Amino acid sequence: MSAEKANDQKLADFEAKINGGEKIEPGDWMPDEYRKNLIRMMSQHAHSEIVGQLPEGKWIPYAPGFRRKLTLVAKVQDEAGHGQLLYSAAETLGVTREQMLDELLSGKAKYANVFNYPTPTWADVGVIGWLVDTAAVINQTMLAQSSYGPYARAMKRICYEESFHIKQGYDAVVALAKGTPEQQSMVQDSINRWWYPTLMMSGPPESKGLSVHSQLAMRWKIKTKTNEQVRQEFVDHIVPQIRALGMDVPDKACRYDEKTGHWHYTQPDWEELKRVVNGDGPCNKERLEMRRRAHDEGRWVREALAAKQRAKEVTA
Amino acid sequence: MSDLPAGLPREQLLRYILALADDELMLGHRNSEWTGHSPILEEDIAFSNIAQDELGHSLVWYTLYEQLTGKSPDSMAFERGWQDFSCCRFVTYPRGDFAYTVVRQYLFDEAEYVRLSSFGRSSFPAFKDIAGKLLREEAYHLMHLKGLVTRLGDATDESHRRMQAALDAAFPQSLGIFEKLEGEDALMAAGVFPGNEVSQREWLQRVVPVLASASLKPPVNTQNGTSSINCTPDLGGRQGKHTEHLNHLVDDLQLVYRIAPGAKW
Amino acid sequence: MTDTQWETYEVFHQSKKGDPHMYVGSLHAPDPEMALQMARDQFARRLKCVSLWVVRTKDITATDYQNDDFFAQTTDKSYRDPKAFDAPTKELSHE
Repeated sequence: MSAEKANDQKLADFEAKINGGEKIEPGDWMPDEYRKNLIRMMSQHAHSEIVGQLPEGKWIPYAPGFRRKLTLVAKVQDEAGHGQLLYSAAETLGVTREQMLDELLSGKAKYANVFNYPTPTWADVGVIGWLVDTAAVINQTMLAQSSYGPYARAMKRICYEESFHIKQGYDAVVALAKGTPEQQSMVQDSINRWWYPTLMMSGPPESKGLSVHSQLAMRWKIKTKTNEQVRQEFVDHIVPQIRALGMDVPDKACRYDEKTGHWHYTQPDWEELKRVVNGDGPCNKERLEMRRRAHDEGRWVREALAAKQRAKEVTA
Repeated sequence: MSDLPAGLPREQLLRYILALADDELMLGHRNSEWTGHSPILEEDIAFSNIAQDELGHSLVWYTLYEQLTGKSPDSMAFERGWQDFSCCRFVTYPRGDFAYTVVRQYLFDEAEYVRLSSFGRSSFPAFKDIAGKLLREEAYHLMHLKGLVTRLGDATDESHRRMQAALDAAFPQSLGIFEKLEGEDALMAAGVFPGNEVSQREWLQRVVPVLASASLKPPVNTQNGTSSINCTPDLGGRQGKHTEHLNHLVDDLQLVYRIAPGAKW
Repeated sequence: MTDTQWETYEVFHQSKKGDPHMYVGSLHAPDPEMALQMARDQFARRLKCVSLWVVRTKDITATDYQNDDFFAQTTDKSYRDPKAFDAPTKELSHE
């Protein structure tokens, strides 16, 4: 068999495995596109978690009361934990954490755009925990079915923890929604600011057809729903909850359609997404600067602990 | 609300409980500022656990205070003015670099170990119970922090330089943990705890050798097995004499709470 | 001095005595002792745990998925299967 025919056979076997619901594990043969796609997805996801520590982490010193303070520290800690799990899963594909962090800190790698927005009030902590994490869980539940074993396993653990982040966020929002007039207006203002950035999280509509990335991702069961399906699922789920609290979304056209059984909504401004994703958002520079600073200021610690072990091994 | 066992001096005891609670609150607050900014992911997660423990410990002490006075932990932590806190100054200072944080945490954890261990013989049953619980979590802190101190102390020129500088700053400050408390004599006479002088001696015996094993030198002279301190201790915290650092810290701590004090958050 | 994210360790976790240790993931650590502590913080802060093992990734010897000949059982091995043999009977047969 020629090399090309052998490769075609490998690809056919690979796709048969995936269609049969089998998992692909580290060391299995896989097409280059599959490997590249997964590295990109997993590392971006990991970057999103560690950059995502910053908008809420900012409020740790100011959290009102013991319960909120402890809960917030634990939540932001979980995000570091999720980043850790995802970087580890990505490393099974032959990329190192040094390489991935280098790409993030040099501005080459992308991460979830939603974290490029500022968190000017305490209410943002609850609203992000509730809205952003709900949208993330809808996406992540799908990813937990991923054909790539390490990604699926990491996602199961992450989904489990994210489901309590949603509850923690919702709990904080309820306290504000039922609170003083100042607390109520703080939380409505926060929802107004986070609504469209959250809708953008599932990616632009693929009405003009799926991108090449997306087509392959769907075929190889890395992704199983379209962006619009995920977004619709989010809106259907969350709008009734928002209204039940006496709050609303900043979209006058948002209404329930009896015929389809879905909530109709206005698309976010996709031009804004392009601008923000390409570095022109309110907090892009600030977030990366903070991560770079932590990385640079911690260098002596990493080097020292590594050197200490090397010295020990030499004398052993 | 519960009563104290007979023979225990109420005023002095309440003052002491607050000092314990205030220490943990401020240190936990400072530690929690590292979440998202630590040198490496795994340490971010580990240090966050320590921060949560310290905040949790302060809550345990404030809860004891509430049982005796009816005043809630949130009201004590989030409504007092900065000059009413009786933490030592040591725990109020900014987090500095990782070396300062590690040295501070290590020195404080050893002090915690000594004072909590002494509560095991306390005439106040609540102290015995609480000490038993907290010591188990503190055991992990000591293991982790000793591990970091002994590695960073002499690993590289830079780590040694930073750790020694951190110790130079932190050691005089740490002596403030053992500042004599108002009413301490009454507490000692009632068997609540053996007093700060005894605790400081025991603490010195523990920290000096560990620091030496990390090639770190505190301002202490050791002759014939006894250590004498060779620096000016940073005192005042137990009497509410704080620096502007605590003013800023409390402004941060209480920022959101003050928007609607007493409201549900 | 090279700045690295340290070596990786694989982590095994035992929920309670009597249970086997299960693989839960990997982490970066400067040495085995710190790896154990970091494993406790990353993998045991919610999951009930009585024992943790950490092993340097490079110390693990593993099979290769692509060499499934390693596990091949293509000839009759039914003699290994308990179902292939009759159990002792309680009734006496009088012949």
